[in-house]
Amino acid sequence: MKRGLITWDKVELPPSVFEARLARARKALAAQDLPALLVYSDVWRSNEGRHLTNYMPYWNRSLIVIPREQPPVLLCGLSPRVYPWIKSVTVFEEIRPASKLVPTLLQLCTERGWTKLGVLDLPRLPHEIYAPQKASGVEASDVQFDLTDDAEIAMHRRAEQMAQEILTAELPRGAGLTDYQFSGLLERAFRRAGAEDLVLLFSTGDSAPRPACGTMLGDKYSVAVALEYRGHWARVRRGLPL
Amino acid sequence: MQRINEHRRTQLLNLMTERGWDSILLYGNAWRKDPFRSLVNINFSGDHALARLSRSGDVTVTFSDPWDAETASAALQADFAKAFAGGAAAVAGLEFMEERFVAACGTLPVSATTEVEELRRVKTAEEIGYIRQACDLADRGYQRFVEVAEPGMREFELVAEVEAFLKENGAEDNFMLIASGGIEVVGMKPPTDRKLQKGDSITTELTPQVNGYYAQICRTLVLGEPSPDQLKAFEIFSEAQCAAQDLIKPGVTAADAARAQNDVFRKYGYGEYTGAKYTRVRGHCLGLYPDETPHILEDVDYVLKKDMVVIAHPNTYLPLSGYMVFGDVLLITETGNTRLNKTEKKLFTK
Repeated sequence: MKRGLITWDKVELPPSVFEARLARARKALAAQDLPALLVYSDVWRSNEGRHLTNYMPYWNRSLIVIPREQPPVLLCGLSPRVYPWIKSVTVFEEIRPASKLVPTLLQLCTERGWTKLGVLDLPRLPHEIYAPQKASGVEASDVQFDLTDDAEIAMHRRAEQMAQEILTAELPRGAGLTDYQFSGLLERAFRRAGAEDLVLLFSTGDSAPRPACGTMLGDKYSVAVALEYRGHWARVRRGLPL
Repeated sequence: MQRINEHRRTQLLNLMTERGWDSILLYGNAWRKDPFRSLVNINFSGDHALARLSRSGDVTVTFSDPWDAETASAALQADFAKAFAGGAAAVAGLEFMEERFVAACGTLPVSATTEVEELRRVKTAEEIGYIRQACDLADRGYQRFVEVAEPGMREFELVAEVEAFLKENGAEDNFMLIASGGIEVVGMKPPTDRKLQKGDSITTELTPQVNGYYAQICRTLVLGEPSPDQLKAFEIFSEAQCAAQDLIKPGVTAADAARAQNDVFRKYGYGEYTGAKYTRVRGHCLGLYPDETPHILEDVDYVLKKDMVVIAHPNTYLPLSGYMVFGDVLLITETGNTRLNKTEKKLFTK
């Protein structure tokens, strides 16, 4: 789960990057004559929403709505008490409380007069959202468009660089430790460097990489690191001996 | 196949007989692993996992990630929709399934999520053992939190130290929120780069996971001498938590446990701070998910049972102190409850 530093460095990712991404989403909507785009986001499936708005739900689920003609709206499962913080790290100016996501979405559709919606990756929408949305009579269409741009690639490179540098530096320190102990050492190094999330898998050569389970690491082992840095994942695997 | 919860298999087979289901699927994804792990307790690292239980009691397991499949000696299905071919009568975790998986079932299964969650609420001795271990780790993790917190340290650095400690000591995962500051603080969130300052009230909830099972602790630390208002606020939180702890036993409702806490705030004139504007819940259950239902709220009439594990935490904002947290894990026994956390019940200072 997310428990690292979640922030928005506007030098690293200027607002103009998000303006361009939202413009791309709106162009895709225009091509299909749709009034708004729906993007699902939860604590694990947050990357598409993060790409478009810099929003990452550290907990719970949310729906991001990107109207073709108006600013994006966040339908948020989190408490309004954290909205000021959310606004400080995202592009959102409007956040609506949504303990029940679909009714809040349908209310927004009614207010705006929308009878159809685009959904980013519609077949991957969770059933709990897909089914009542479909039953509502608001027509949903799958929307696909390219989510890659130079800024995105640069952030993934930064994440990969962080993963490589820290793992290469720390790797020899695992010798003689249990994978639990080495996990702790890596968690400290990565999270102090600003990692948002981390998945660590270990292998001593007799099995596929797996989560730490108390195995003693000898002088031959490998570590697979999946690192999330400001919404951007990188996966690196290194082994000893180098 | 290892790590099958035999008690759960028996419960599920009884449920299937009762409902006339010929098979049941237990689905888990990277966020909601709990329906899957309630039968097959494997900490998968890929995106999806599925267990299929037939009326004969056979369990087949499929993963989307090759490393998970190899580690568990189970089937691999990279195109995970194919794992649902043939469908099933019922699915636990149906709500979290991507619609393409539901479509791959052919006929729409019924949701077994609510029924399976009810089965999960009453813990076995083995499950309670894991939660005790997780509670011990939560206590030690909080001790570490207090040891390392100091003025000048950034929130995310403090979290990194606690995270490292918990992982070193066997936590699979940890859910953690934090806040620091004064009366302007209205809730907890992920760590920021704010530097801790003398006089800060630092709130946290640590939720380490051991062998799949979560425990939690909620405490507040003041850097420096607490103010009279902070001390007064803590006395209210302490009294509220004790009211719940004194009350909780089989037969008491979640609503009763919430009301007992909220009535303390009302008694001192702070009733408005027990509502949704300032707080979320007055506690919740714990298990394979860190925020299991029933939630401890005044409108939840669920009757608590022996061997359920709940945390009572009257966490909320008060104008005296800003947001404050205080809570412990309680195992419901035949006649009352046992507090599983051992951390001293006090406002911590440093």
